[in-house]
Amino acid sequence: MQAKPSEISDNDLLRAISRGDERALAAIYDRYRLILFGLILRILHDRQEAEDVLQEAFLQVWRRAADFDESRGRAFTWLVTIARSRALDRLRALGSRAKLAEEVGHSPREEAGDAAEDALKSEQGTIVRQALAELPEEQRRTLFLAYFEGLTQTEIAARLGDPLGTVKTRMRSGLMKLRELLSNQSRGL
Amino acid sequence: MMDHQEYQELLALHALDALDAPERRALNEHLATCSQCQLELIELRDAAGLLAHATTPAAPGDEVRARILDQARAEARRNQPAAEPSAPVVAFPSRAAASRWPDLVRLAAALAFVALLLGLVVFWRRDVQSRRQVVRLTEVINEQSDQSLHDFEELARLREAVELLNSPTMKRMELAGTQTAKNARATFVYDRRNGRAMLITQGLPMTPPDMAYEVWFIPKGHSPMPGKMFTVDAFGRGVMADHVPPEARENAVIAITLEPKRGSASPTGAIYLSSPAS
Repeated sequence: MQAKPSEISDNDLLRAISRGDERALAAIYDRYRLILFGLILRILHDRQEAEDVLQEAFLQVWRRAADFDESRGRAFTWLVTIARSRALDRLRALGSRAKLAEEVGHSPREEAGDAAEDALKSEQGTIVRQALAELPEEQRRTLFLAYFEGLTQTEIAARLGDPLGTVKTRMRSGLMKLRELLSNQSRGL
Repeated sequence: MMDHQEYQELLALHALDALDAPERRALNEHLATCSQCQLELIELRDAAGLLAHATTPAAPGDEVRARILDQARAEARRNQPAAEPSAPVVAFPSRAAASRWPDLVRLAAALAFVALLLGLVVFWRRDVQSRRQVVRLTEVINEQSDQSLHDFEELARLREAVELLNSPTMKRMELAGTQTAKNARATFVYDRRNGRAMLITQGLPMTPPDMAYEVWFIPKGHSPMPGKMFTVDAFGRGVMADHVPPEARENAVIAITLEPKRGSASPTGAIYLSSPAS
């Protein structure tokens, strides 16, 4: 790696990782630790578990970077998918989804440090939050239940007491809208 | 039977991993043959991935970075892939080897490895000559490894394959394609003593982006026990090493299903290959 880490694309970093370049692993960690830790924490609501899962996720990135195929999606999606899958696996293993949901009445926002505050102001985050804010509340809620709690359509219907068909339509419209808004608003995402 | 548009409507839910098993199964089968839906799923997964930005970023403890880098370094030193469930089909050089060997040499070695393995199977099928050929091949491998190719993990795997095929307690099973994959075939060989096993497939369809084949051992009267995950090349060929659990070394059925890439604890996808019921 000759350029500064911040100038190297995600794809190039993953390629370097697949060749065993530790500096590339450190660079991708520095680039995405806030967002990925935020995601894992949102799913698990427990700092220690979340740090453990973050570690597992980055080690999986280290071991499996060669599996990343840029023709099959963005590097960011690949990283987020690993972090989310690991976190949901841990959540299921803990077997206390309902209990955790009850215990956690607060948003983890207060836990964000200075660095996190900087990231909060990031352009990407702002665009996504704006896009989400434009969705009807019920669409947003079904998307969040699927994404952050790993619930299936049937589980979401049961949780919300809504018909399955309605839940399906909301999720589909929500995600399509999100895709559309994002493609309109962003080049850099 | 759903039509293309109905499948297309399931893509967004699939991108969120929110489909129930039967719909997911049906969609995955459609995805295996529909490039339009594959491309749309990629876009929708990218959109779904952005939901991560909806969370509040948070800083992990400083020691996490050090722990990750320490462990990565330790794994690199051991110079072997970690014990992840997925096994690549055609063995590629390890990281350390990758940095040392030019691509062409690695490609040639990978091709030679596949050729040797396929050759091995052919020889082994010709019962009379097989032992002698295997011994000769072993010598060839030993010579090659003397020529400083010893850090290719392919050679280690090939040696294991030779040992397995030579074992007096080796058992062989033929797997036939189901309705889902009529042209698929596979040979599964394993050592009844230690469970070491090898699977060689032909004619399996390419897997969709997020899917892989999973091996199942189904001992009589038991639920299926998961084996390793694998993918196949453009010709549906796959070669994979696995380990048969002790319960499944006698009278078990071996089956292959299509599952989400990170593996399932019990089968959820369609069966592509199966050994005859014992």
